[in-house]
Amino acid sequence: MKWTEDPRAKVSRRAFLLAWGFFSVYLLAVMAASYLLGIKPRLWGLPQWVTIGNILLPAGFVILLIIIVEKLIPDVSLTDDKDKPDAF
Amino acid sequence: MNAATLSFLGYTGVLAAIGIWSFRIVEKVPIQKYEQEFYAAGRGLGGVVVALIIAGGLASAGTFIAGPGMTYAYGYSWVMINNFQVFMNLLLLAPIGIIVGVVARRVNAVTYLDLFKARYQSKTIIILLAVLVTFFLIPYMATQFVGAARVISQMTGMGYLISLAFGSLVVLVYCVLGGMRGTSLATILQGIVITAGCIMLFIGTVHSAGGFQRSTEILAAQDASFLSPTKNGEFPPAFAFSIAFMTGFFIVGMPHAMLGALTYKNTRALKRGIWMGGIFVFLWTLLLCLSGVVGRSIIPDLAVPDEIAPWLAMNVMPKALGGIVLAGIVAGIQTTVAAMAIIITSSIAKNVLQELKPDVSATTTKAASRWTMAACLVLAMGLAVFQPKLVQWIIFFSIGGLEAATFGPIILGFNWKSGNRQGALAAIGCGMVIYALANTVVPGLRLWGMHPSFVAVTTAVIVFVAVSLLFPRPNESVIQTFWGKNVPG
Repeated sequence: MKWTEDPRAKVSRRAFLLAWGFFSVYLLAVMAASYLLGIKPRLWGLPQWVTIGNILLPAGFVILLIIIVEKLIPDVSLTDDKDKPDAF
Repeated sequence: MNAATLSFLGYTGVLAAIGIWSFRIVEKVPIQKYEQEFYAAGRGLGGVVVALIIAGGLASAGTFIAGPGMTYAYGYSWVMINNFQVFMNLLLLAPIGIIVGVVARRVNAVTYLDLFKARYQSKTIIILLAVLVTFFLIPYMATQFVGAARVISQMTGMGYLISLAFGSLVVLVYCVLGGMRGTSLATILQGIVITAGCIMLFIGTVHSAGGFQRSTEILAAQDASFLSPTKNGEFPPAFAFSIAFMTGFFIVGMPHAMLGALTYKNTRALKRGIWMGGIFVFLWTLLLCLSGVVGRSIIPDLAVPDEIAPWLAMNVMPKALGGIVLAGIVAGIQTTVAAMAIIITSSIAKNVLQELKPDVSATTTKAASRWTMAACLVLAMGLAVFQPKLVQWIIFFSIGGLEAATFGPIILGFNWKSGNRQGALAAIGCGMVIYALANTVVPGLRLWGMHPSFVAVTTAVIVFVAVSLLFPRPNESVIQTFWGKNVPG
């Protein structure tokens, strides 16, 4: 049988790289903010590293995730039969 | 009977009704389609349910009880550590969701071991994984029942054993009667109750503490290390980093999380499942963890830190609302147990049974599914009678063990054509041996204070690649099925 890659495999790989890249940046950002900002300065009554690194940053990343997922992962059919109504 | 008990009873009654209703739906399905309905809810779940199935399945008593318990005991350091789990849905559905969705439809896979069978074509791998999954998930389920029973006991004043029966029997009803259909319907209700409960608990706790500023001052006076991101070195960055891998990158190795990938309807549902899951887990984790640490400024001397969330629910909120919060905590636990019950049952009653007896009838599989699920739940309830004290560490032990066995074969198996059954078997064996050694006689394998799962998983991945390269690639049929445009007939 002649080998032709399913284009959905490429979409799947791109989604994989996107997820790991996104989480890597998130992990670095949270750890950097948490370990580099001090305990003393307070923001909203909490240590600054908590407010920025563990409330604002994760919230920002959640919003960013909505945009990234909706924009960068295309809708693809899950069946091989393109006539099926529930393909997307 | 107090208001909290009444509101919890109402919630339990609705769950039982869902179980009976979904039983009627499942029973109407023709026997030929029964497996797809019972294990994969007809492969027709939308974004919100997929988000909740994965988020609720992965966020267990570790999030709803031990999460606030750990922040109560160790301060803000564990808010950060728990925050690494926020993107679990993304890290499960994006790396394998699309390929699982396509292949599951091609080979009619309804369980995660069906996918392993299609990929590795090995009876040994199927049976080995079924045994390991059962070994790690049953104690994990037991810890969930323990958590639920403690919460119900605190709320109602009933004894531990009655509370255990109360919290677990309803799960048995809707899982055994309705399978994945019952679980998915129950999960919608549970997701609403969990989210509402978390928000109410957080508002009530911060209000009762007099605000963040005041609670921070009290915590600083109690012990300044509560404000430190490492608790003054007790949890070094390497430890936090390894937990981030365990609850982040490696989460795809959790078999019960695979349910979402097997049941979603289309890629729109997959995408919504990813970002809605992020919102849900972020809210649950942050609000509960902050409640735990702020709660320490209200009551600094709880003997069992894990009791902080129920204590707050019963003491800083009106009784009826406290009942909803506690129902939310129990709901979070029940979603996890239900997902695990489906996975163990599918492993044993479908995959192992069919491997050992290939000509088994659909009627026998149907009966075996219900009996196996009931047996698993009863066994977990039996273990829960012994009330283990260190719930969080048992949970971490189970998660680490499952990931050590399955992460490599899943992530590489579904993304790398050259991965083969020899590599998968070597990775499972190596992961288990390293994990067992690091947890027992060679604690030195926990490099730089990391959790043992990190070394076990990374070693298993290296072994998977090395061994796979020594043996031939899988046959063309497997490669076409997983990545080819031309599906073998």
